[in-house]
Amino acid sequence: MAKMTLEELRNLRDAKKKEMTQRDTNDKSAQIIIGMGTCGIAAGAKEAFDAFLDELNSHEIKDTKITQTGCMGLCFSEPTVEVDVPGMPRVIYGNVDGKIARRIVKEHIMGKALVSDHIFDKPAADIIK
Amino acid sequence: MHATICDLITDLTQNSIEAGATEIHLKVEETKTNLNVVIADNGKGMSAEILGKAKDPFYSDGQKHKHRRVGLGLPFLFQTAEMTGGTATIESEEGVGTTVAFSFDRANVDLPMFGNFATAAVTLMAYGFDGNLIIERSVNGKSYSASKNELAEVLGDLSNTESLTLLKQFIQTNEKEILNPNI
Repeated sequence: MAKMTLEELRNLRDAKKKEMTQRDTNDKSAQIIIGMGTCGIAAGAKEAFDAFLDELNSHEIKDTKITQTGCMGLCFSEPTVEVDVPGMPRVIYGNVDGKIARRIVKEHIMGKALVSDHIFDKPAADIIK
Repeated sequence: MHATICDLITDLTQNSIEAGATEIHLKVEETKTNLNVVIADNGKGMSAEILGKAKDPFYSDGQKHKHRRVGLGLPFLFQTAEMTGGTATIESEEGVGTTVAFSFDRANVDLPMFGNFATAAVTLMAYGFDGNLIIERSVNGKSYSASKNELAEVLGDLSNTESLTLLKQFIQTNEKEILNPNI
């Protein structure tokens, strides 16, 4: 692809907007929060970011948000990623490399099942009572 | 030290975001011999006393994490400079801002790999802060610049998959052009 200008980017954006089917615009979309502190970066959080974005794209999932945060205090299990899917417990996953990021998209976000072997923080107490 | 220069750049630019900067200039220049980076912000800055401590890996202001006794971002920079015969400086004035600059010898065998600049740029622009981030990138005289405010104006919310994908394509195509010696 040739170098993209801002104008071309705007046109692409407008074209995508037209393509969009009507979406639920309330807060129901899933959110992926990647720990991007010094520890996260050092452990490969950017690889996880790329893998999440790529996997979401390959399944044409467009309503999931990817955001970042600083160190969550779990430096030993970086990259750490918090995943919030409406109707499911909020989960913090540890040691999320590219492969695990792709599994999270397939199993958790699409399949609505937790990736149990990488859960660092168990679901909140009110959920497992 | 960080595994790649781009990891280092991400980490140090985040410091500017965390310092509440409304304007951050990130300049990343590769010449035939050198890698020159400047990160200048108008964030809260540091007093001379704090600035002295900031280079100490066992210092943190304790605001992010109450019991934390380490802060490795800047120490990683000075470690890399020291181990590879490069230079690194930090200047800061309380209430005015901070400028971090470094210059590394690209031929030094101990220099970490450069890494993936497109992802570094995308993650920084999408970090979720109100200020602007202006990236000036050049390789052997060819350059492009990108402004977070301009891109956000075009793309809207920078956290959804679609915007992030377009943002990444934008940076990637610009990177490709300046990295291609035949254009």
